[in-house]
Amino acid sequence: MPSLSSRLTLPVFFLAVLAIFCLIAPNFASAGNFENLMAGYAFIGILAIGQSFPILLRGIDLSVGAILALVGMCIFDLSLMFGVPGWAILPLALLVGTLAGVVNGLMVTVLRLSPFIATLASLAAYRGLVYAISGRQLVPELSTKPITDRWITGFETYFDLTRVLGLKGVVKLPWVPLSFLILLGTLLVFHVLLAHTRFGRDLYAIGGNPEAARLAGIKVGRLTVAAYAISGLCAAIAAILLVARLTTSTEGLGEGIELTAIAAAVIGGFSLTGGTGRLLGSVIGTFLLGIVLIGLTQMGISPFVQQILTGLILLVAVGNDRLQTLRADRQRARALGEVPA
Amino acid sequence: MTAPLLEATGLGKSYGTLVALKPSDLRLNRGEVRALIGSNGAGKSTLIKCLTGAVTPSGGSVLLEGKPLPLGQPGAIIRSGVSCIYQHSNLAPMMSVMDNISMGRQPTRFGFVDRKTQRTQVQDLLARYGIDLDPDALVGTLPTVKQKEVEIAKALAQDAKVLLMDEPTGWLAVSDVRRLHETVRLLAAKGVGIIYISHMLDEIFAVCDSLTILRDGEVVTERAVDRISRTEVVAAMVGERLARESLAAADSGRKATGSGEVRLSVRGLGRRGVFRDISFDLHAGEILCITGLIGSKRTEMIHALFGSAPHDAGEVLLNGKRLVPRSPAWGMANGIGLVPEDRQHEGLMLGMPIRDNLVMTTLRRFHRFGVLRPRGIDRSVSSLIAALNVQPPRPAQLVGRLSGGNQQKVLIGKWLARDPSVLILDEPTVGVDVGAKAEIYALLRAARDRGMAVLVVSSDLEEVTTLADRIGVMNRGRLLSLRPAAGITRPELVAEIGADA
Repeated sequence: MPSLSSRLTLPVFFLAVLAIFCLIAPNFASAGNFENLMAGYAFIGILAIGQSFPILLRGIDLSVGAILALVGMCIFDLSLMFGVPGWAILPLALLVGTLAGVVNGLMVTVLRLSPFIATLASLAAYRGLVYAISGRQLVPELSTKPITDRWITGFETYFDLTRVLGLKGVVKLPWVPLSFLILLGTLLVFHVLLAHTRFGRDLYAIGGNPEAARLAGIKVGRLTVAAYAISGLCAAIAAILLVARLTTSTEGLGEGIELTAIAAAVIGGFSLTGGTGRLLGSVIGTFLLGIVLIGLTQMGISPFVQQILTGLILLVAVGNDRLQTLRADRQRARALGEVPA
Repeated sequence: MTAPLLEATGLGKSYGTLVALKPSDLRLNRGEVRALIGSNGAGKSTLIKCLTGAVTPSGGSVLLEGKPLPLGQPGAIIRSGVSCIYQHSNLAPMMSVMDNISMGRQPTRFGFVDRKTQRTQVQDLLARYGIDLDPDALVGTLPTVKQKEVEIAKALAQDAKVLLMDEPTGWLAVSDVRRLHETVRLLAAKGVGIIYISHMLDEIFAVCDSLTILRDGEVVTERAVDRISRTEVVAAMVGERLARESLAAADSGRKATGSGEVRLSVRGLGRRGVFRDISFDLHAGEILCITGLIGSKRTEMIHALFGSAPHDAGEVLLNGKRLVPRSPAWGMANGIGLVPEDRQHEGLMLGMPIRDNLVMTTLRRFHRFGVLRPRGIDRSVSSLIAALNVQPPRPAQLVGRLSGGNQQKVLIGKWLARDPSVLILDEPTVGVDVGAKAEIYALLRAARDRGMAVLVVSSDLEEVTTLADRIGVMNRGRLLSLRPAAGITRPELVAEIGADA
């Protein structure tokens, strides 16, 4: 485990950035703004959690945006074209996302493709599949019809935190979107899985040293497939939340979102060299990107400048990661320096 | 006598017509520390790979406590109780000592890792074998000797009955070597059988009970260490008669210090924590071989001369002019060439034809107004292929499809084509057959006779004594000795290389 100080770096930095925006950005510290932040970034946080698994194994999943769109379109078709009830759609949606992830995993393990190439290919293939099955294209009059199934739209619900806590009239707290609670639930489940089960420890072992893991009898191939499956499953959860929010789906849903998810995971401490990172970090990373973007918007800064700043944040995070590695290497070199005694 | 712990019978491996290991027997008793020694290519590593499962032997069988070992299946072999500790680390650096030791086998309770039981198990194990480690420390932050102990503990946690240790002290300081040896003796006392692979005779005589010597793919000697002398060991390793003969053959053309003109002068070259105080002169028209163990920092030193690795002390003079090596491009511009050790990763573009590989270093000669002249290239390539005797002699042949020897000829040829005034070669004949070796030696001697200054780094003592005009020995980052090759015997070299500096 990393030392306490290195664990605290990110949360402290996050709180500092949050405080700065609360002070300098107009209307930033308002209940409505935090509602937007939570609702708008919950699904990205879930994608970042999923993305953390392939990255932990020295891989990457570029196809999460396309899986998100694929699942979104499946929900759209099933609900509007075939009239399938929502309670039946939800498990199917999760299944589609997981299977898409399994295919990625099989390409990496069975075909031995590099994860970058494998998921770049499936990114294109899944996105193509979305266009092919799009209910908007097949039945044009559906394109303006919203999804009204309560089982799906119900995910776009807010809870009045002020009333729940009995503080009505005292302070005005933001309403908490259900999607944010689902993010917390997902985080909890996968955190326990990663930190407190054999499965999770085995994943860290594979990421840290695949050869050692193989020799320790760990089923490297099977676990790798599982990691990509989890990434796909998270993309499906994110798709459900996003479709509920939009009450529809489009072919271009989630285009480019994979980069945000990867950035969030890397900022959160998942090194691209594998074997290290914690899921809470990925979620904090997501909201760090979120507050910077929303904060800058409210300060009236151009979206293009915002993109540059997002890039800079990523650069600082990765640079810091690199710096830590170099420092560790130097320490080791110093230990070896005892050699020519 | 009781039945041996491990008994290999007729274990052999051949690749096509090349026999890497003739059918050999090996026995190991409980609590025995057995040294396995032999020069490069003697079949040592093949034997080890057969025992770890990395290589499936072509014949023979291995019994562990009377039960056959599942040969060729690394995972199953480890589970049946034969573990190997490699020279490079086999740990996950970002995980704790505890998690590394019980990697893949953490105890669970209701599906969750049971930290308490895991900690007790690991602490019991460490206490039982008297290994002093903090279970919560991050492996990547531990010094090398401690990491070795983690690997040992990890093997023991897998109920290892036989431990193979492949040059375990290669990266260790002297005091740490002693510490590791104490651990080894302790394990032996607990009944673990240990196969200890090392080049260092001092270590072998300090820690081992018995030794097995391999030469040319077969076991030549098997003896208890207290019944054999060092000279006998060395003689068995190199084959004394052979050594004398090749020495005589090579002595004829030697010219220590070449033409006498100093080409490259190195003064007090050092890099903190890696090598230091390296001083020597390289003359025009001589071949200087530097030998030493893996980890003696020869490679790092020559890369510093070429400019592809940094140094922080000392100076380099080329033809009397002071130079500061900065980058490979700088080295090349000053007439230095470096043939790297790993031809597959550092030396050649395997997916490209011979032609493109050969002209890579000389492309600028074939420019006219910024455009390459293919005809000039073709002419140069054909003459090079002929001079190097590359088989098959087709410029369009992909380098990856050539035999090891021919790949190496292309690699060396690409640097000879530049006609550098100083040519540095790192292990120029690793994985090369005898015929190609002779051709490469001839190429290097011809270059020397043209007045080139040649610096060769090699672990192969036969190569060093055959090829060198002068021989230098590096040991733990220092140049221990440097003298004319004529008259040096291999036993003397072995003693210096393995000296406990």
